[in-house]
Amino acid sequence: MPLICDNIAFTYSGAERPLFTDVSFQLTTPGFHSFFGPSGVGKTSLAKIITGDIAGYSGRVSTAGLKTLLYSHNKERLPGWSGVDRHLTRVISPPMHAQKDELVEIFGLSDCITSRFDQLSMGQQNRVNLIRYLLQDCDLLIMDESLANVDELTRERIILAVKDMFPDRYFLYISHNVIEVSKFCDSILVFCNNGRIPQTVMIQGCNIRRGEDLSPTALDAAMLEIMNAV
Amino acid sequence: MEKQLFYVDQGVTMKNKAKPLTLSVCVLFLMSTFFICSALANEKVSYRLKWLRNVSVIGALYAETHHLFEKEGLDVAVKAGGPERDTIRELELGYADFGAASADQVLRARVKGSPVVVIAQLFQVNPLQWMYRPAEVRIQGLSDLKGKIIGVTYGGNDETIMRTLLSEAGINSSEVTLFSVRYDYIPFYRHKVQLWPVYRNAQGPIISAKLEKAGEKVAYFNPAQFGVRFVANSVVTEARTLREKPELVRRFLTALLTGWEQALDPKNQEEAVRTLQKYDPDTPRQILEEQLRITRELVQPDSAVAIGTIDKKGWEQTERIMASQKQLSRKVDLKAILKPMDVSPK
Amino acid sequence: MLYRRIFQFFIIYFLFIGGLMLLKYSLGLSDYVIPAPSGMFHILTAEYHRYSLATLNTMTVAVIGQILSVIMAFIIGILGRQSTWFGSFIKVAAFNIQAYPIVALAPILFILLGDGFLTRLLIAAMICYFPVLLSVLGIMSKPVDDIEHFYRVTGRMRWQLEVKIRTFENLTQLTTVIAGSATLAMAGTIVGEFIAANAGIGYSIRIALYQSDMGKILIALFLIGITIAIYQAFLELLGAAVKRAWTGK
Repeated sequence: MPLICDNIAFTYSGAERPLFTDVSFQLTTPGFHSFFGPSGVGKTSLAKIITGDIAGYSGRVSTAGLKTLLYSHNKERLPGWSGVDRHLTRVISPPMHAQKDELVEIFGLSDCITSRFDQLSMGQQNRVNLIRYLLQDCDLLIMDESLANVDELTRERIILAVKDMFPDRYFLYISHNVIEVSKFCDSILVFCNNGRIPQTVMIQGCNIRRGEDLSPTALDAAMLEIMNAV
Repeated sequence: MEKQLFYVDQGVTMKNKAKPLTLSVCVLFLMSTFFICSALANEKVSYRLKWLRNVSVIGALYAETHHLFEKEGLDVAVKAGGPERDTIRELELGYADFGAASADQVLRARVKGSPVVVIAQLFQVNPLQWMYRPAEVRIQGLSDLKGKIIGVTYGGNDETIMRTLLSEAGINSSEVTLFSVRYDYIPFYRHKVQLWPVYRNAQGPIISAKLEKAGEKVAYFNPAQFGVRFVANSVVTEARTLREKPELVRRFLTALLTGWEQALDPKNQEEAVRTLQKYDPDTPRQILEEQLRITRELVQPDSAVAIGTIDKKGWEQTERIMASQKQLSRKVDLKAILKPMDVSPK
Repeated sequence: MLYRRIFQFFIIYFLFIGGLMLLKYSLGLSDYVIPAPSGMFHILTAEYHRYSLATLNTMTVAVIGQILSVIMAFIIGILGRQSTWFGSFIKVAAFNIQAYPIVALAPILFILLGDGFLTRLLIAAMICYFPVLLSVLGIMSKPVDDIEHFYRVTGRMRWQLEVKIRTFENLTQLTTVIAGSATLAMAGTIVGEFIAANAGIGYSIRIALYQSDMGKILIALFLIGITIAIYQAFLELLGAAVKRAWTGK
């Protein structure tokens, strides 16, 4: 069930230059993949092209077999009229409630799950939002800086849990953190700075899983490769 | 050559001296002319009517259009009244010098200390009467009002008059239905109300004509025929104006009453109608003539009584009626209010 | 809040009366033009009961009219929020109808429907619904992307949820405009009664005007003002209570 993007070109209306002219990549296996690059290069725009939220591009996006594609970001909010747990319960199907409780535990939200959304810290808000997306029936989930306000240790715990609990799902993790993407991600589409050709380069990350040891050499190599590509 | 130059010099010098002199003379002449003209200019005065420019104020309109005020040396601004205007208040605030007000207005104002005085009474018979359909309603005596639906303007003088009539007839409030009237006549047209208050001379002919077209005849219930005389519009001014400028008041009243006299003179009917048409071009001539005829009967029902005569007994009865209806908190000294002037219309 | 509102109203009213008295005594005006304080007090004691009932009568009509107008505004606002032909038609119709001055419409309504409660109610509702409608239309037309995105992409969005989200996120604006429209409702009802009705404080004011009784008018204004001040304070308290219950703040 591959995701194929072929010769994608896109220019925002009114913009002087195209955002990207020839982006091509494919993801052939489910897993935790990433878009990485400096701000403004088009990571979010490409993600939205894949989910169909942006039209007016040229090229081909093939999501054969991927029925449901969801895009989430860190600025999303839950309605504020009742506690967060109540909202989660209403948007998650009953068979998944046990998993919800597990995720709440892993994500460190047990103490605040009954609070209203605006009573949570930004990091807590990010985590709650992610939980509801994770427990939707989808084939691809794009996480656009979804853990931006979460501390490093918790992020690590979360990513490893997500990889464990959803092995058959495609994830596209958009991040600025080179260590993180090198460590946890499988395929990393690196967006190069404006003007460079090609605009994107696919690099393999370390893709570590829970319980696995990470080789410092492999990590350094991945990071170096990414930084050279940007 | 030198002599010529000398003479030229002399001429130039003389010319130079004459210039300022000429200028001074011119300025003096202009100033004198200005002051003389100012002195000769008419005295500015404003007269606030009670309502709009219609047949009920034909005398003032006639005086205005035929320059009768100017003949008395007055420059009178005749201003239309309306629901938002209060003549007596305007007199006190200095926005008007003379005005037209009804007796109930004058008496209420005097009770509250307003220094208003009456210098002439325009209507000897109150034009406020009730219109009804004789085919549906028979009114031969006051007792015939029992069980009827009667339109009144709550707070207005028609309410006061009607309550007096009902009281005279010994009819209590449960035996009659008083209907609150508005600006439209629809309830009367729709036969919802049996007696409807109108100004006999102004609205009466218009509504009569309308109903006649629909094959309906109308009659008028006149309170005066049943002994209830409630004085209507009168000419008023401030007591101070009368005291300090009696000559001005006299001249104004002379011109105004002359206007009424001439407007109501059948010989001047054509002129009077033309004057009305100026302000009311849409009403048919026939109706204007009928309005004029009725106004004549109401303003001067008796040719022996001069236009503008103040009916003291009518005022006394008006005061008694208002007092009995608890509309006056204390007795009013009519001598202090009624100030008839001995003026002869010219 | 209630005491503060009443206190503020008293300040405004007595400043106004003070201004009138200054004018009266400096220009030597009679009680007919501006009544003396003793005269006003006498009228207050004489007419208090009747005028209070009339004011409450008007207030009742105004309150019900306002409730109706809020409901109408929500219905129209919800229907008109879409960028469809029907949505823009609703908006145009609402703006055009509001352009007609109520003083011109009121007599027509009274002719068609009579003097009764229904006509006064309709006038009250028509006067105050427009500012509420404008606010509701604006709120309902503007998506709250941060919250609505999830429901949209997961196919969970329903119009009821959309309305609830947008109402919740703009609750302060809505409660403010609803509290403000109370004054409009009262003013509109009084205007309607003044033009052509047989009940209410507007009707009483009309009678007082016929009688050129400034004292009665000033007392009527006092009663109207105090009633509105209390009602607005009540609405603000209610708005705060709704916000507290719904937002927890």
